[in-house]
Amino acid sequence: MERERWATKIGLILALAGNAVGLGNFLRFPVQAAGNGGGAFMIPYFIALILVGIPLMWTELAMGRFGGHQGHGTMPGIFSLLWRHPAAKYFGVLGLLLPITVFIYYLCVESWTLGFSFFSLTGKYNGALTQEAMGGFLRGYQGLARNDYFHGIYWAYLFFVATAAINYYVLRRGIRGGIERLANIGMPLLIIMAIALVVRVLTLGTPDPSRPDQSVMNGLGFIWNPDLGALANPKVWLAAAGQIFFTLSVGFGAIQAYSSYLGKNDDVALAGVATVSTNEFCEVICGGTIAIPIACAFFGVAATQAIARGGSFNLAFQSMPIVFQHLPLGNIFGFMWFFLLFIAGVTSSVALTLPAVTFFVDELGWTRKKAVNVISIFTFAAANLVIFYLAHGFMDELDFWAGTFGVVLLAFIEIVVFFWVFGKDNAWEEITRGAEIKVPRFFRFVMKYVTPLFLIAILGTWAKSDMMKVLKMEAVPPENRPYVWGARALMLAIIAGFTILVVIASRRGSFSRQRSSEENI
Amino acid sequence: MTTQGYVFMTIAWGIVLALAAFSVTRLLRRKKG
Repeated sequence: MERERWATKIGLILALAGNAVGLGNFLRFPVQAAGNGGGAFMIPYFIALILVGIPLMWTELAMGRFGGHQGHGTMPGIFSLLWRHPAAKYFGVLGLLLPITVFIYYLCVESWTLGFSFFSLTGKYNGALTQEAMGGFLRGYQGLARNDYFHGIYWAYLFFVATAAINYYVLRRGIRGGIERLANIGMPLLIIMAIALVVRVLTLGTPDPSRPDQSVMNGLGFIWNPDLGALANPKVWLAAAGQIFFTLSVGFGAIQAYSSYLGKNDDVALAGVATVSTNEFCEVICGGTIAIPIACAFFGVAATQAIARGGSFNLAFQSMPIVFQHLPLGNIFGFMWFFLLFIAGVTSSVALTLPAVTFFVDELGWTRKKAVNVISIFTFAAANLVIFYLAHGFMDELDFWAGTFGVVLLAFIEIVVFFWVFGKDNAWEEITRGAEIKVPRFFRFVMKYVTPLFLIAILGTWAKSDMMKVLKMEAVPPENRPYVWGARALMLAIIAGFTILVVIASRRGSFSRQRSSEENI
Repeated sequence: MTTQGYVFMTIAWGIVLALAAFSVTRLLRRKKG
């Protein structure tokens, strides 16, 4: 069967950027920068971008293209091509587990942004002008409390179903008609809305002249005033590397699935740099200028620090709606903020589902329609657990293992397999073949030695500082522990399911099959 | 915001915009070519 292709290079880049640009760009980045040395944070940040971010982007794009033209767009098949060992394909199960697990809880958060877009336009949260009142609105919406705003979880469930349906529709339409079309429309819209919000924030000045310390400039100062002493703290360097990791969405197996729909000699080097550029524009310029500075202008630096410590979700869903209610045309700006987050979310969530869909099509010979139906039904059912057990730490557990620890682990395995097992020369040939820019040769050294060491340092530090605490559930109240075990059981069930499917695919002879690129065209 | 803050913000924005400009010009050159 002919393998689908991206219609245009710009479409591919926008889809890759859509995968990379997510809620983290607008929420996680400013909080990380402000808490880790301000402007000084950007020194380890850009170093990590060069030593970890760009190398992993190129590696994943090249691996995907390599696998794709031999009929394998997901990690089990790609690993079995790169590493001729019977165990290789089983390491690839991580590349199916991680995106699906993250998708299960990401779908819920994405649906909140759609819901809040609607409430911004209808003015449903108008009048909730304090953190307590808006916190009550958010908890009511999430079904965690019954109050004057919500009597149940019906609204949240309605938007959850709508979000799942949008994801389903895009995936059913395939690469060109679905994902690429979504990116072609969604990404320019996202960038336009982000720039409009940046302009609105930068022209706010000092909203309350009686409080001259509460200004946008002081908000920008909160993010950018450098504390050079922070550079001596290894945690700041790890935080920067971690941020680069999450912002580029590397380590999920999703980028490989995207690039598997490229031709054998299509460029990946310039596509990788263009994707990184778009992501960094949305993060450093837009992300750093919207949420935190506007919060500082209305609440002051000290209160914003407290909000930021409360987490990104509180900043996005609790504090920002209060701010928008103080602005002329606040409902429109509120809609733009939440709809921007929704677009960032949906262009990322379709990417998270694509590896599983591609696996079923490539390795088990299913039709796209059947694969999308099965994956959508499973993830919809599993996401219900996240919605109804939200208060019990179900989402946090999935996020730590899949969205935090797992992605670094998979990225480490990827770069070792590509540069050490497949070989540095072969890997370099894959990255540079068809390249429309000259890739500096020093990246050969960086990718073989520096990037893996950086990833080991992140993994080692997390293993030492967080893993045992999470494993032993030290921070989990006793009444929530059955739910956390439930989240672990879900992940183990997904691992078991995909492992069985890899065995079935292996017995079908899928992993011994290598189609030539000519057959695919 | 302090002067150092302005300097760090300007440099960071400059790097990002330079990266974006590089990508766009290369993509345009490719299209023309």
